[in-house]
Amino acid sequence: MKALRPVSDVGGLPSVVFGQRSLMWWGTLGFMVIEGWTTALIFASYFYVRQNFEAWPPLQTPLPSLTIPTINLALMLASFIPAALAARAGKALDRAGVRRWLTVMSVLVVPTVVLRWWDLWALNVRWDTNAYGTAVWLLVGFHASLLLFDVGDTVGLTLFYWLKPMPAKSFSDASDNSMYWYFTVALWAAIYLIVYVGPRIF
Amino acid sequence: MTAPPPHDHTGLPADMTLTDDAVAREAAQLDSIWRDGRGFWGWLTTVDHKSIGKRYIITAFLMFIAGGIEAAMMRTQLARPENTLLGPDRYNQIFTTHGTTMMFLFAVPIMTAMGLYFVPLMIGARNVAFPRLNAFGYWTYFVGVVFLYVSLFANTGPDAGWFSYVPLAGPQYSPGHRVDVWAQLVTYTEIAALCAAVNIIVTTFKMRAPGMSLNRIPLFVWAQLVVSFMIVFAMPAVATGSTLMLAADRAVNTQWFNPAEGGDALLWQHIFWFFGHPEVYIIFLPALGFVTPIVETFSRRPVFGYTALVMANITTAFFAFGLWVHHMFATPVPELGQSLFTAASMLIAIPTGVQIFCWIATLWLGRPELRTAMLFVLGFIFTFVNGGITGVMLASVAFDKQAHDTFFVVAHLHYVLLGGGVMPLFGAFYFWFPKIVGRMLDETIGKIHFWLFLIGVNLTFFPMHILGLEGMPRRVYTYLAATGWGPLNLVATAGAYIIALSVIAFLYNVLKSWRGGAPAGPNPWNSSGLEWAIPSPPPSYTFLHVPVVHSRHPLWEPAVDMPVVTGLRTDRREVLLTTAFDARPDSRHHAPGPSIWPLYLALCMGVMWIGSIFSPYFVLIATGLSAIGLVGWALQSTSTPGTERVATGDAVVELA
Repeated sequence: MKALRPVSDVGGLPSVVFGQRSLMWWGTLGFMVIEGWTTALIFASYFYVRQNFEAWPPLQTPLPSLTIPTINLALMLASFIPAALAARAGKALDRAGVRRWLTVMSVLVVPTVVLRWWDLWALNVRWDTNAYGTAVWLLVGFHASLLLFDVGDTVGLTLFYWLKPMPAKSFSDASDNSMYWYFTVALWAAIYLIVYVGPRIF
Repeated sequence: MTAPPPHDHTGLPADMTLTDDAVAREAAQLDSIWRDGRGFWGWLTTVDHKSIGKRYIITAFLMFIAGGIEAAMMRTQLARPENTLLGPDRYNQIFTTHGTTMMFLFAVPIMTAMGLYFVPLMIGARNVAFPRLNAFGYWTYFVGVVFLYVSLFANTGPDAGWFSYVPLAGPQYSPGHRVDVWAQLVTYTEIAALCAAVNIIVTTFKMRAPGMSLNRIPLFVWAQLVVSFMIVFAMPAVATGSTLMLAADRAVNTQWFNPAEGGDALLWQHIFWFFGHPEVYIIFLPALGFVTPIVETFSRRPVFGYTALVMANITTAFFAFGLWVHHMFATPVPELGQSLFTAASMLIAIPTGVQIFCWIATLWLGRPELRTAMLFVLGFIFTFVNGGITGVMLASVAFDKQAHDTFFVVAHLHYVLLGGGVMPLFGAFYFWFPKIVGRMLDETIGKIHFWLFLIGVNLTFFPMHILGLEGMPRRVYTYLAATGWGPLNLVATAGAYIIALSVIAFLYNVLKSWRGGAPAGPNPWNSSGLEWAIPSPPPSYTFLHVPVVHSRHPLWEPAVDMPVVTGLRTDRREVLLTTAFDARPDSRHHAPGPSIWPLYLALCMGVMWIGSIFSPYFVLIATGLSAIGLVGWALQSTSTPGTERVATGDAVVELA
């Protein structure tokens, strides 16, 4: 083997970084792409089976209700504010700020999971009634699993911030958590428009 | 020693080299930090990409043997007309398990496993980007392997074919749990592949050695990178189709594929083949990644047309997503659609042709040395080109309708997969076995293995072209003597036994060489990649110091010594992150150590998927169990490791 000749010392480089400089950001992005793409494929299937129906929703199937899904969307959009502030506090290395805004964010996002149960019943059709029911239940249900995971992540991170000393890299985690939340809400906005609002317009 | 040319050193003397003493001290310190834990617990908790990669390769190869035994059983059954060795029910399970094993449990996993083992070595990294995710992926896959084979031995092996078309696979025509096993198993392996893909993408983008800009990435790594992107976009389709649609139709009466309630059987075919066709290239492109370094090394020159090869990889990946309907020409596809998919299916032959010509040019311009690895590459070119040509034939709708569901298609796909996937894989084993094990495989046995395999493959599958043209349908457990298909089937069966002999020769070679082979040394082939700059087998920490790269062929550089980076901490697992395009040093990253939680979570996933076949409540139970695992994982990841240097805005501050 050849002799090793040092040409550069990296000891001074940072060991905690934010955004695209950090590995966790890339990993989060990877899973966002996978989950976003899965949702896109379910959308494609939704439109594919729609071709088999003359009316959409099918005859004798009521339109989805709007009230609960709209409240849920509003709640999610409101939670953007603490999410953005938690991310900003993370980048400013402000431990108290991260804890405060994660707590506010948790208070806002926990009810979204509860409301999701009523989002499903607001579809006004069962999953086994017809292919329309199947498609809308899968769209809303699949998103429910993402929502549950992300809310769990947010609440878990908040509890950790209250209960134990957190390492410096958790500042970066707080900012990635907000990024993933924006994505989850954006997906919901798309589902809301296509599943709940769409059939009223087209 | 002549003074090396000065380059990007930062405050270090230009002629400094590390003394043997310093190297030994640092090696011992790093080994104590990076090595796996002791005993069985250490084995269960490892997150070392080399341990996991090796385990993955061995498990997947055992699956190749299992799938091969099933193939031999089918060929024995078909050796003569009206044979009674396997009845129709058993035969259905065997051919479905054969296809499922080979595609989902052997071919894709072994290709990603080679990437998980070698990508870090080739780019100068000490581990993959997400070591625990890597362990989770392997264990998920392992649970899938055990699940399929326990089911098969319990007479619950899937029996609706490896693509499980509805309505046959639906609740009405396949009662019982056989198809459920298939549907859930597929999702296991897709999750494992997705974990591997994200890992390989992020590792390649963020952990390359300084100086390894995009245009210096080894072609093996390019192939793995491109395939990882393909996995990210292909695998969600089959996971959606199998678990969220097919299994749901069967378990909770959803109506995706039930035409009576507005569902559509063809939706399954679209969803499946949107994954299924790229899958072929997911198997085949990594194999092309094996071919380039082998051709370079044994031609003793850099490959001809590096840029063309990279572009061909990327183009193939794009086209691969535009071909899926050519599996559905026998369904009512609109004529315009047929023309489009025919054109795309023919078009993809062009980038593949470009690659073949680049390798031929490299061989032509070099001084080829016919070692076993090289022989397998030549066997690959011969066999794969034959399979490719029948592929272009099948792209024509008129021909496809004649040959659809006949042995012609079986011949085509085996030429492509054995020629394009397995031959380069065997070549890769001969080439990289010395790196993994530290000992050489025997060349004489290797050559016997090669010739038996080449003859066996052609003897088995060439007659199937003729059988298919004569009208023999695939997936029949027997046929009448009056069809006249007996003699060619007997030849094909003889070929299958020759393949079996060749694999036995290979296994003997591996077992014999693992302990008694000639010691390999770091670079037995005088090859050019970074993986050959370290000892064989690689130490736990892989690279003592992260190398600095100045060309595509770092070990063929005339420099007398190897430029490296210093300054990574030796008192904890630390890796260097570099910028995505130019690979400039950017930050240091504290890499995670051993953990039991990946295994625990994989078992929770197993409870969810296997349990949900019997009752949807298992989803809730498994979610609860997973929550415990996720908290455990997070607690381990948020331990406080001491002072960090944190980059905030333009400043860097020390933070406890």
